Amino acid sequence: MKNPASGDKILWAILAVFFLALPFMKQDYFTGIGLSFLMWLALTQSWSILSKMTGYISLGHVVFYGLGSYIVVVTWQQVPLWLAIAASGLASAVFAALVGLPVLRVRGPYFVILTFGLAELVKYVLLAVEASLGISSRLLFATPDITEIYWIMLGLAAASTLLLEAVHRSRFGHGLRSLRENEEAAETLGVPIARYKLVAYVLSAIIPGMVGGVMALRSTYFEASQAFDAMISINIIVMAVIGGGDNARGPLIGVAFLVALSELFWAEAPQFYMIILGLLMIMFVVKLPDGLLGVLESRKKKLGGRAL
Amino acid sequence: MSFIEVLSSSQILFAALLTGAIYAIVAVGLNMVYGTMRLLNVAHGDIVMIGAYAAYWLFTQLGIPPVASMFVVAIFCALIGAALYKLLLKKMLARPGDVPHLEARSLLLFFGLSLLIQNLVVSLQTATPRAYQYMDHVYRISNLAMTGNRLLALLVAFFLCLAIAAFLRWNIFGLALRAVIERTDAARIVGVDVERVHLISLVIGFGAAGVAGVLLSMMEQFSPFMGFSLTIAAFIVVILGGLGNIAGGFAAAMILGAIETYGVALTSPNMRSILIYGVFVLALILLPKGLFHKRFKK
Repeated sequence: MKNPASGDKILWAILAVFFLALPFMKQDYFTGIGLSFLMWLALTQSWSILSKMTGYISLGHVVFYGLGSYIVVVTWQQVPLWLAIAASGLASAVFAALVGLPVLRVRGPYFVILTFGLAELVKYVLLAVEASLGISSRLLFATPDITEIYWIMLGLAAASTLLLEAVHRSRFGHGLRSLRENEEAAETLGVPIARYKLVAYVLSAIIPGMVGGVMALRSTYFEASQAFDAMISINIIVMAVIGGGDNARGPLIGVAFLVALSELFWAEAPQFYMIILGLLMIMFVVKLPDGLLGVLESRKKKLGGRAL
Repeated sequence: MSFIEVLSSSQILFAALLTGAIYAIVAVGLNMVYGTMRLLNVAHGDIVMIGAYAAYWLFTQLGIPPVASMFVVAIFCALIGAALYKLLLKKMLARPGDVPHLEARSLLLFFGLSLLIQNLVVSLQTATPRAYQYMDHVYRISNLAMTGNRLLALLVAFFLCLAIAAFLRWNIFGLALRAVIERTDAARIVGVDVERVHLISLVIGFGAAGVAGVLLSMMEQFSPFMGFSLTIAAFIVVILGGLGNIAGGFAAAMILGAIETYGVALTSPNMRSILIYGVFVLALILLPKGLFHKRFKK
C-alpha cells in the first residue's frame, strides 16, 4: 500500500506548482478564481486551528477579517503596505487575546452563537463609529493590481496551511485534541486548557485579519456591513464541514467545491447559492458529520481490515 | 426628549410593554425546545418570519383578517415543528454521541435550515420589505395614542403568555416538561414519554412563534431577514430568564423590551442593534445561568 504521507506531499507539490504558475497565464479571470480559492483556503485553514482542533466552533471568524480590512483601509497610503498588513494581523491577534478569555469559557452551542453575536456587535459598533465620523463608505485609490494581491494571498494561504500542519503535529496540537475529546479529563491530566484554547484562538485569528486587509485592496472600498458580512463566517464553516478531518488536507475539497459553486451561481442567482449552502449544511450535519474525508478514511480502514 | 420626559412617557411605556410581550411569546418556544432537547434552534426567528408572510398572504390574497388567520398560521407553524421533529431531529437525538459536539453541530443544522428558509422566501416573495394596513385606527387615552393593531397585538400576546403559563402550570405536561428539562434520562426512567415531550415542545413553540409573526406583520414592515434579530432577542430572554424557567422568561422579556425601547428613545434608532447584541454578549459571558438562578436551585 502507498504511504499516505507521501501521497500528501505529492498533492501539495502539485497544488504549489499550479498556483505558482497560474498568474503567468495572464488571464485575470482565472487569477481571480485562484485568488478566491486561496483566500477561502487561508480562512478555512486558520479557522480549523481553533474550531477543528478544539471543537469550539466559531461562527464569527469574519470579525477578524473585518478588523483587518478596517486597519488596512484607514492606514492606506499612510504607511507601507507590508506594515499595514502586518498591523491587521496584529490587531486581530490582540482582539482575539482580549476577548478570548471570557469568550472561551462559554461552551458548546453557547460558544457558537456568542462568536456570531460578537462579530455582529463589532460590526454595528464600527457602523456607528463611521456614521458619527460622517463616513458611510471609504474608497481606496491606486490599489495594487490583481497579480500582486494574488502573490500576497498565495503567501497567506501557504502560511496558514503550514501553521495548521505544524499545530496538528505538535504537542500543543495533541493537547488541543485531548481537550476536544474531553475537557475535564484533559485538565486532570495536566493540559493547561485555558492557555491552550487562548493560544489556538489567537493563532486562528492572525491570518484572517491579514486576509481581510488584502481583500480590502481587491474590493477597493470599505463598508462595515460588507467587511463584516456574516456570510463569510458561514462559508468558512460549510467549507470545513464538507471536507471534514482536522488536518490541512480537509478543507481543500470543501473550498474547491464552494468556490466553483459560487463562481457559477453567486452573481446571477445568489438565493440559489445560499439555498444549496443551507442544504449542504443540513445534509452534512445529519448524514456525514465527519465530512467527505471522514467517509474516505473510514472506508479505507474497513478495506484495510478486510485485507488483514 | 429629555431624560425625564422619556421615563414618564406613557407612549414609550406602551411600546416597551408591546416589545416585551412579543419577545415573550417568541422566546417561550426557544426556551422549551432548548430546554428539552438541548438543541439551539437559530431558525426560530425564521418561523416568526413565516408567520408574518403567511398572515400577509392570507390577508391580501384571500381577505382573511389577521385576527382570524392567526389560528390557521399557528397550526401551520406547529405542523412545521412536528415535521421537523419527525424528519430530522428525532433521528439526530437518537444517535448516541458526546453531548457538547452534538449541540454545536445541531446549531449548524439549524443555521442551514435558517439559510434555506430565508432564501426560499426571498425567491418566492423577493427581498423587499412588505407591509399591509389593518386596524390602523388611532385610539387615544389622555396623551397615549395607539393604533388598534398594536392594542390587539398586546392583548393577544399577553393572553397567549398566560395561556401557555397556565397550561404548563396545571396540565400534567408541564410537570413532564420540567422533568425532561432537569434530567432527561431520569424522566425517561420514571415513565415520561420523552419523545412526546419533545414533539409537544416544538409544536407549542412553533405555534407561538407563528402567532408572534402574525402580530408583528400587523404593526410594522417585515422582510425575509427579520428572523435572526428575533432569534437573538429570544435567546437573550432565555439566558436571562433561565433555562426552562417560563415565568423567568416572561420577566426577562419585559426587561429586554424596556432596555431596547428606552435605550433607543434615549439615544438613536441606530443604537438598537448595538444594544441588543451588547446585552446578548454580556449576558452570555456574565450571566450564563440567568438573573433568577438563586431562586431556582435544585
